[in-house]
Amino acid sequence: MTRTGSGLLLRVYMGVFFLYMFLPLGIMVAAGFNAYSPPSVTVWKGFTLHWFVELWQDDRMWSGLANSVLIEGAVIALALPMGLAGALLLGRLGTRAAGVLYTAMVSPLLTPGIILGISTVIFWRGLEVSAGLFTAILAQTTFIASYTMLMFMARLQRQDTALEEAALDLGATPFQAFRRITLPFLRPTILTAAVIAFLQSFENYNTTMFAIGGAHTLVTEIGSRMRFGLSPAINALGILFILATIVFALAWGALKARERRAAEHAT
Amino acid sequence: MIPTPSGMDIALSGAAVRFGTFQAVHPTDLTIEAGEFFSILGPSGCGKTTILRLLSGFLDPSEGEVRIGGRPMAGIGPSDRPTALIFQNLALFPLMTVWENVAFGLEMRGWKTARRRARAFELLEIVALDGQGDKLPAEISGGQRQRVAIARALAVEPAVLLLDEPLSALDLKLRQHMRAELKQLQEATGITFVYITHDQGEALTMSDRVAVMNRGRIVQVGSADDVYDRPATAFVATFVGEMNHLPGRIESVAGDRARIATPGGSFLAPNPGGLAPGTEAVLFLRPERLHLLGPGEVAANGIDGHLLRRDMEGAFSTLIVETAAGRLTVQRVNSGAGGLPAGPLRLGFADSAGVILPAGETADDAA
Repeated sequence: MTRTGSGLLLRVYMGVFFLYMFLPLGIMVAAGFNAYSPPSVTVWKGFTLHWFVELWQDDRMWSGLANSVLIEGAVIALALPMGLAGALLLGRLGTRAAGVLYTAMVSPLLTPGIILGISTVIFWRGLEVSAGLFTAILAQTTFIASYTMLMFMARLQRQDTALEEAALDLGATPFQAFRRITLPFLRPTILTAAVIAFLQSFENYNTTMFAIGGAHTLVTEIGSRMRFGLSPAINALGILFILATIVFALAWGALKARERRAAEHAT
Repeated sequence: MIPTPSGMDIALSGAAVRFGTFQAVHPTDLTIEAGEFFSILGPSGCGKTTILRLLSGFLDPSEGEVRIGGRPMAGIGPSDRPTALIFQNLALFPLMTVWENVAFGLEMRGWKTARRRARAFELLEIVALDGQGDKLPAEISGGQRQRVAIARALAVEPAVLLLDEPLSALDLKLRQHMRAELKQLQEATGITFVYITHDQGEALTMSDRVAVMNRGRIVQVGSADDVYDRPATAFVATFVGEMNHLPGRIESVAGDRARIATPGGSFLAPNPGGLAPGTEAVLFLRPERLHLLGPGEVAANGIDGHLLRRDMEGAFSTLIVETAAGRLTVQRVNSGAGGLPAGPLRLGFADSAGVILPAGETADDAA
């Protein structure tokens, strides 16, 4: 094949790829401004902001979002220390004990989410605790802690064990060595693990659905409305999320660029 | 300005380390004097790093005892020992600046920031790193990092400085330079240095005494001259420096000398072990103690051979000579006379030149 031929093929491939990625988003955004329900772009009834107003007045949606944020916060607060503790322990145990602990910590990733949700509710019902936000938090934490542990393990494997030993040798207590040497080394992973935990918790449907009882998160609320047909208010919500994502991404990029400039300036 | 805590002495009595069924260090008795520059020399896996970890407190002996400055060290962790360790890879804290690295031990001792910063910069000046304090370890050179590690260890004013092959990552020139600096530092501070290395050049040049280790045992302790010229075992003879071996059998004994019969003839040499006639033994000969015999020249011992190769190495040249007792290496000072024609020649050596030792494990077997 000629050079230009392969170049053309590459371009076509890229075009199809981006179409596949972004066309659904484009349709979803367009439908959010269409004065027609259920969401559609094939039947165009004119531009409207009505669905944003409807979304604004939808209290169950906003209480679901509030619940989602609450659960995320709690899941991050639980899954990060649990994952870190597991990863630290795995690095220090003998091979056999480490194998058992590793299997126990990772098994929630291999268990269907529904089972995690149901078993959490059954366990806590036995303790007279009924399903709600609390059980949803614990059910999500079971598998999100596995993710954070794997991330911390990967990072810790790259740490030179001599660094902690050097700190001990210079008079640090084990806690001081952890706080001054290991924790700063883990800082980037703490941030990414928190982001992953946030995303996993926010988008989780199956585990949460079964564990949350009568309460609801944004995602379970949207899921339950699927049965009655969605309103384009959902599209309006999607548009807001896309905007928020773009704003965060731009802000992050700007922040990184400024750090780079500062670093170049310093040297 | 250099901290001058007096060095402390170290005593191992019957100290041994077992990992499961593996005996890393056999029961060992060893005394290191206060203020001594003491090296432990051995091949990798011989147990020298294990001994270092016994001294630094990262490891407890399975049996026996470690004393530093007369105090038993059982139950005393690395943080509380009067030792400081310089790691093989230096283990500088990568996220801290140079001065924060140096001041780390002081920070752990509760010094206020201004005071420990001032002290760190003082120490950096001593190791000729003025002006580098605010950089990160990644921003300075290998030799400078080496000095940071030294300053960081000196900051806690140890009585014993433990060094785990700290020069192995440096290039040859810098390594030779740092050898001199370390020796100077040791003399200036009076701190006891325990230096772990597999490099016999480092051990011989810097140390007051050297312990040679093999398979978890210290096989000889002595001055650099002792281990080089009066090796106690076949292993020491072959591990430290170049060595020719001529296996044979003791023929007769006269005083502290013996005559050993080899396929290349019988030779008179020191017999420090007092081996009896009839014993299987090996005559060890340094390449530089062998010389060429001219026509009509005689020596206490002579052996005929055939020159195979001459390697010119600058200050000296190395001859590879095939003899009836095996292939021998000869080192000649370069007199500027040029090469030798390949062909027959005769080698000689004094009756004090070699050493007869019982056949045993050599460094070549260990490797």
